[in-house]
Amino acid sequence: MKATSRSDLLAWLDALSEQYTVIAPRMVDGELLYRPVHASDEVVLDFERTRLSAKSYLLPETEVILEIERQEGQVTLGEPRLDRDQVILLRPCDARALRALDALLLDRPPADAYYADRREKTSLIGLACPQLWDDCFCTSLGSAPDDASAVDVMVYKDGDAHLVEVITGKGRALMDGLEAEEVERPTPHSDRSGEQIAVLAPEDWPGLFDEAYWHQLAERCLSCHACTYVCPTCRCFDVRDDTTAAGASYTHIQRLRAWDSCMASAYRRIAGGHNPRPDKAQRLRNRYYCKFCYSPSDFGAVACVGCGRCIEVCPVGVDIAEMLANVAALAKGRSA
Amino acid sequence: MSERDNPLRPLLGTLVDTKDLADDIKLFQIELNGDRFEYQPGQFAFVSAFGVGEAPFGLASVSSRTPALEFAINRIGTVTSALHGLERGAVVGVRGPLGNAFPLDEMQGKNVVVLGGGIGGAPLRPVIHTILDNRPDYGHLDILWAARSPSLLVFTDEYDDWRSAPDTELHLTVDKGDSDWTGNVGLITGLLEKAAPSPEDAVAIICGPPIMIKFTVLTLQKLGFTAEQMIMTLEAKMKCGIGKCGRCNLGEKFVCLDGPVFSYAQVSHFLESFV
Repeated sequence: MKATSRSDLLAWLDALSEQYTVIAPRMVDGELLYRPVHASDEVVLDFERTRLSAKSYLLPETEVILEIERQEGQVTLGEPRLDRDQVILLRPCDARALRALDALLLDRPPADAYYADRREKTSLIGLACPQLWDDCFCTSLGSAPDDASAVDVMVYKDGDAHLVEVITGKGRALMDGLEAEEVERPTPHSDRSGEQIAVLAPEDWPGLFDEAYWHQLAERCLSCHACTYVCPTCRCFDVRDDTTAAGASYTHIQRLRAWDSCMASAYRRIAGGHNPRPDKAQRLRNRYYCKFCYSPSDFGAVACVGCGRCIEVCPVGVDIAEMLANVAALAKGRSA
Repeated sequence: MSERDNPLRPLLGTLVDTKDLADDIKLFQIELNGDRFEYQPGQFAFVSAFGVGEAPFGLASVSSRTPALEFAINRIGTVTSALHGLERGAVVGVRGPLGNAFPLDEMQGKNVVVLGGGIGGAPLRPVIHTILDNRPDYGHLDILWAARSPSLLVFTDEYDDWRSAPDTELHLTVDKGDSDWTGNVGLITGLLEKAAPSPEDAVAIICGPPIMIKFTVLTLQKLGFTAEQMIMTLEAKMKCGIGKCGRCNLGEKFVCLDGPVFSYAQVSHFLESFV
């Protein structure tokens, strides 16, 4: 464990930015977001949660996956790659969410080449939460505000100063520029108090698939997609070619990949117009089943980290924690 | 990095020829530029019209008959319209082969009923070709082929070959005839009731729109076919074909990874219905 002052911690970030793109919480037009920082005085270290997760640095909102050159009947393909390694300072839940992306995009073959490239070039510095915030429920999902399982380095608050713990070899490689004192201190523990939500086991979800509850829950859903965009584990994407984007033309085409949302009515429609999921209740149910039933059975872990962003952003108050509690109650009622 | 390391990078190919199959439906013959891939009946691939995008199509050819990859493509959206607009010699992208295949080895020795609806018949063509080219390995072959109108029937120039093959029957129907049509009029389910193939030692393969699959299954069940004896291909507007983009799930199953070929026994246990 290393003890360091806030000014030395910030100086370390400046040193890291010589070699890496440093991405950290920063105010942008009144919103706190993970953004590349130019100088460490922009970094916000005392905060609850950022408006958006860090997934866009591994799976960008929109990214070029192919540069297609079309000249005199010939076509050549180029593949962009991340040109600079990056360090992201983020909440432990946002780091943990990347494990859900890893499971699908890296670990289940074939690996996604673009995600693999970015993941390899990314180091994660966790900023432990001292406590649970409003709408957070990570402790109900087997995690904690100071969960260091998915980061390379963990930074804890220690009064006005900080404790820094190296978690992985990748983390050790970041340590050179940190002025700190080696101290014999136990790993600090965050305050874990807060309501515990009973989360139904994955194998108990299929029996509730046809419950009227999904229709009641979806009655107020606007299918606005906001929950899927702020979600750190949602990873569906669309692919299309663009000849009109900046830097593109008829002869220089960019194949783009962009975030998609399973909340869209056209999402599951097939050629010819048939749609097996025409109702918004079916779509909302699919989103929750993806996270709490299908992902655990495919990858051994739920695809939700309890960050609370979808609760915060939903304009009509659809609440994933409330849903989990209701579903558990429904299952209990059935077995009674 | 090569396409072997990047499953989203297409191979380059050349559109060597197209043939009109039906109204707005063309057969595209594509030869890969220097690359080759091995594929089986039932598998699919993405075809790119560079500048517009790519879309998944069932492979409509067998590699033993032609070096070209063949796809039957209906002009229905932006990518398919762009493909229809390409000239012979144009460079296209091909990503595949993807998905599983029809269990043609397990079908050996059995009677086979193939049921194709409209453009849905395209992935069945390699099944028909495989059986006709290995005729002694399979039992009786019934081909039930349907379209909304006579001008939408696909592979009409092959019907004489199919009819004249040993132990093979071709049954055609259209939803609505025209002045030249003297054949059967009505849905494929009616045609199936008339043909009434025996379920004994038989397997049925269905390709077509979801609604056709749904009612064809009901008719086959009346004839005594079990869920294991009914095989189908499902479709989705996939974006990746490798289990990442999320578009094609039905409950916990992915059409691209677990299919597109499924038995009705599998499909009927999905948490989500395909219709």
